Amino acid sequence: MMDNTLHLALPAVHTVPNANAPVVAIAQPRAFTTTVNPLVFFNILDHYLRRNAGQDRVIGTLLGVRSEDGAEVEIKGCYPVPHLETKDQVEVDMDYHRTMFELHKQVNPKEVIVGWYATGAELNSYSALIHDFYQKEVSSFPAVHLTMDTALTNERLGVKTYIAAPVGITSRADNCMFVPMPCEVKYFNAERAGLDVLANAAKEQQQNPDQGPTTTTLLSDMDNLERAIMEVQKMLERVTEYVSKVLAGTEPANNTVGRYLMDTISVVPKIDAAEFEKMFNSHLQDMLMVVYLANMTRTQLAVAERLQKLL
Amino acid sequence: MPAENLSAALDIEGVVPITSVQLDAMVVLKIVKHCRESAPSTVTGQLMGLDVNGVLEVTHSFPMPKTQDSEDYEAGSQYQLQMMRCLREVNVDDNSVGWYQSTNLGNFMNQSLIEHQFEFQQALSKSVLIIHDVARSSMGNLNLRALRLTPAFMKLYKEKKFTSETLAQSKLSFSNIFEELPITIRNSALLNALLFELESDESLEATASHLTTYNAANSQQQQRKTALSTNFDMLDLSMDPYIERNLEQVMDSIDDHTQEQGNYAYWQRSVERENKKKAAYLANRKAENARRQQAGQQPLPNEDVDSLFKLPAEPSRLDHLLITGQIDNYCKQINAFAGPTLSKLFAVGELQK
Repeated sequence: MMDNTLHLALPAVHTVPNANAPVVAIAQPRAFTTTVNPLVFFNILDHYLRRNAGQDRVIGTLLGVRSEDGAEVEIKGCYPVPHLETKDQVEVDMDYHRTMFELHKQVNPKEVIVGWYATGAELNSYSALIHDFYQKEVSSFPAVHLTMDTALTNERLGVKTYIAAPVGITSRADNCMFVPMPCEVKYFNAERAGLDVLANAAKEQQQNPDQGPTTTTLLSDMDNLERAIMEVQKMLERVTEYVSKVLAGTEPANNTVGRYLMDTISVVPKIDAAEFEKMFNSHLQDMLMVVYLANMTRTQLAVAERLQKLL
Repeated sequence: MPAENLSAALDIEGVVPITSVQLDAMVVLKIVKHCRESAPSTVTGQLMGLDVNGVLEVTHSFPMPKTQDSEDYEAGSQYQLQMMRCLREVNVDDNSVGWYQSTNLGNFMNQSLIEHQFEFQQALSKSVLIIHDVARSSMGNLNLRALRLTPAFMKLYKEKKFTSETLAQSKLSFSNIFEELPITIRNSALLNALLFELESDESLEATASHLTTYNAANSQQQQRKTALSTNFDMLDLSMDPYIERNLEQVMDSIDDHTQEQGNYAYWQRSVERENKKKAAYLANRKAENARRQQAGQQPLPNEDVDSLFKLPAEPSRLDHLLITGQIDNYCKQINAFAGPTLSKLFAVGELQK
């Protein structure tokens, strides 16, 4: 990976390195981690699917939030930026980038530009140029570059994040080295529920692959509960099978797994039977009461509706 | 696709009614993110896409800035236009097909929402409203609803006549203000690849090979939350806060309802009073006329009666309609919640034995 992240100077046809302009001091790459909201990936893929004919990579701006000490960058959103690559020139639609950023700021004032994304696994000399531009946009912090291998080389969508380190004696726009950064996916409960539904769709697709594009319907709470319980059951079965195998001596015991199991079992709370009975009954009664009241209210409403129609 | 097929599928004349809504995975996530970040305040956004053969395909969405008053409205539409122009440039369907709104435990039935959706459906006959319930989604099951105002309600709202009579005539009640459309979600092939990759994360295997305690690994996992393993939020046993908040809301709307009922009863009483006065006046006049006839005089005219007694106008029943709809909604929600919770309770009960 390292050998194609190192780039030497291109003939300076496309940039005008202004000697008078103060060189943006790139902060020495400090240790910081990047977390990415899955929405960003979805957005990038959508952008890639909507690319112009003949275009093989797309780029866009990443928006996000920096923690106060700068130790963590959370990439929360992104938007596409049209660009054009030819043999010896790269054009990025800057007006578009600015307008979009202004628009985003109206909705989400907290999110700032943190870097940019591109599809395709390789980093070429244009990457360095574009990165230089984004470096100016994010001012004193190192800009983050995220790549996503949409061509699926190695059958993976290898998501990678980089920051740039200057290379060479004189600072030049197209001189930089991309240093890989750790990157994690982060999401919240509500988003998680959404992702679950999507992941289910993906699984369905795997089971019957000739259905065309995947579609799925939303599950009711009950179905969802059933699914979760089934999952727990499967896991328990797996563990029981493993334990009985170990006890029978057909499989060597693994200390780590044993410790995990011990810890898990110790987490299960022990409640006094009478106490439990009391709690159980009171909850049950509460629940039944509420359901009863709700049904009563609905009946009232239905009666009122009927009466209204009689008028 | 031949030209006539295409035009039939795109339904240029707008005859095919929408029967279902298909959301792109990205749209789902965008809505979820936007709504979660600004919870508990409600936010709205625009949906874009195309309707094909009765299926409304929503392929893109963008959030709208929060508007405080009508002055911001101009800025909002400016923002919307600019955003759509920008999106067109990157080949996004720039065809507005509706809007979305976040809600908390289903409290979305109110005048402004109805008005907004009415305007939408007036301008674009095939637009939907997607309701995303943040509170319910964070309990482990994504909660999205696609709603449209029914034609009967549209007609009444246009005429702004919500009297008991018109309601009864058009057979409108709280249960048919909105029609709900089924939602499907669509993933692209690349997205499936991404999802599988998220699921088969290697970082977890790495931790399992080290000798760590469950707790340490657990806290590590809490920090990362990388792998997309199964979600067990559904198995959460804490039901009290949810029920409590839900009941509070029901109580609030019942209070509103009582007030509305009071208004209506007041109106009824005043109508009755006026009617009584009128009847008394008429009887008086009749008696007088009879007397005058006996005396051979011209009877007094009866026409001025209506102008003398003005019946108070019936208050709009729209509020009443919305409140009952809202209560019904809450009750349904409680019932829907009760089912899984009861089964969870019994499951735990069995487990304890």
